[in-house]
Amino acid sequence: MMPVADICELNLTELSKLLATRELSSSEAVNAALNRLELLESKLNAFITVTREQAIAEAKKADDEIARGRYRGPLHGVPVTIKDLFATAGVRTTAGSQILADWVPEKDSAVVERLRAAGAIIIGKTNLDEFGHGGTSTLSHFGPVHNPWNIEHIAGGSSGGSAAAVAAGIGPLSYGTETGSSVRRPASYCGIVGFKPTFGIISRTGSFRGAWSQDHVGLFARSVKDVTLGLDPVAGFDAHDPASVHQDTAAYTARLDANLKQLKIGILRRFLEGVNHEVRQAFEKGLEVFAGAGCEIVELDVPEVSYAAMTSMMTSSAESAGINRRWFRERHQDFVPHVSRGIAVGMTITASEYLTVQRARQRIREALRTAYEQVAIIASPTTARAAPLIADGVKGNGDDTRHASYNHSNLLRFPSMLGLPGCSLPCGINVEGLPIGMQLIGSWFGDQIVLNAALAFQEGTDWHTRRPALASA
Amino acid sequence: MKPTEKFTHRLALLAGVDLSQAYLDAIAAEIEDLDRIVAELEEFAQGTPWVSQQLQPATSKA
Repeated sequence: MMPVADICELNLTELSKLLATRELSSSEAVNAALNRLELLESKLNAFITVTREQAIAEAKKADDEIARGRYRGPLHGVPVTIKDLFATAGVRTTAGSQILADWVPEKDSAVVERLRAAGAIIIGKTNLDEFGHGGTSTLSHFGPVHNPWNIEHIAGGSSGGSAAAVAAGIGPLSYGTETGSSVRRPASYCGIVGFKPTFGIISRTGSFRGAWSQDHVGLFARSVKDVTLGLDPVAGFDAHDPASVHQDTAAYTARLDANLKQLKIGILRRFLEGVNHEVRQAFEKGLEVFAGAGCEIVELDVPEVSYAAMTSMMTSSAESAGINRRWFRERHQDFVPHVSRGIAVGMTITASEYLTVQRARQRIREALRTAYEQVAIIASPTTARAAPLIADGVKGNGDDTRHASYNHSNLLRFPSMLGLPGCSLPCGINVEGLPIGMQLIGSWFGDQIVLNAALAFQEGTDWHTRRPALASA
Repeated sequence: MKPTEKFTHRLALLAGVDLSQAYLDAIAAEIEDLDRIVAELEEFAQGTPWVSQQLQPATSKA
């Protein structure tokens, strides 16, 4: 029998292969992940609900099915985690809020339905900023998430619990959501791969909304191939999500190709001036990897992007106020204070102002559409610095979303505001031992190109194989 | 509209919610800042078409 620590070290690709060949059982894999969870949870606070009994029962069922030759695919029997924004039938779904602390949905969200159909075993629901409103995962009714690389630091948000879980070896795959940067930022801070596809690729039905025109489902794993294995079963049209797009049956894994000859990668260098020195250095070294793989690095100048963070903030602020207005009026004191205040500010944005903001958004979109005629990908550091201290509070991220500027926040916010596919992947570790990430942002529906480029980067580097010391506990 | 009137106008949108003075003080700066942000975005967006999105079913075809 394989030791528990070794099972938790397996990435999804490796684990999936062992489950398919029955060299390892789902019961062993699920128990190992649950044991790791219980060992580390007092340090990480990454989970709101653990579904131990249900997961163990489902793992037994998966083992029976696989033994009878009814193998469903790469997620069959795999322990996975999901952000506690996804509704789960019969299991409480809190969205990190006191308001929903005891709410038990009757129906699964679309993502959960698809995961169950693929045979995945959900072992727990991860902690987050309340209703996804935040970038630190400290704004949760259930307390802050801690970064597995150093528990004094934040995991990033809002999908911080998911990122921390994967980084700590608690299941090889987790699903989160992103409205501003809630997949890419925590992936960067936690030293793992985070991918959010083009708007409309994964259904959001049954997941709580941060801001409907910017919300995406995304996922976390330890390698790019693991991401595609997790993406294939959940991508697809859903008539219940008005943003959902018709698409071919997902085959991102089958189409992975690390050959990047002549791929053009754009850099918006003016936005990197305020970026931390070590982060910038790691990013520049990352660019050398791409250049070495035959890519052409193109300097871009898109000044309209300097309005992106402000436009994104105004959009999400107004939309989240629209979504939460009833709860705010009836129970504003039950929100996390910082989140409550954000909703209050959003409620004072008028309809005509919101529409003005959408015009600005359209101008930025057009500028980037033109930019993507020159390049296939825009690359940048994912975040301007490594994970800040929890003690630094919400300002620790160093974002500026209230001024038109060349602040790096604009690079973090434009992909979700415009629905572009984005992948954050590890590209370094700083002197404090904290991970550094770089992001690759593709054009609309250029998801495969982004994933292929990310794969090529991983084939030329080993940053994605680094683990926090805590993960080998 | 004077700045103080603009602020009062915005706070009116929160009418009916029982918010303490301390709470209002905490959000005052951000609310006051909205006028500047909107004005900057309005100028930036000049000449850009208004966003128009119809709601035909996704399966509709011309």
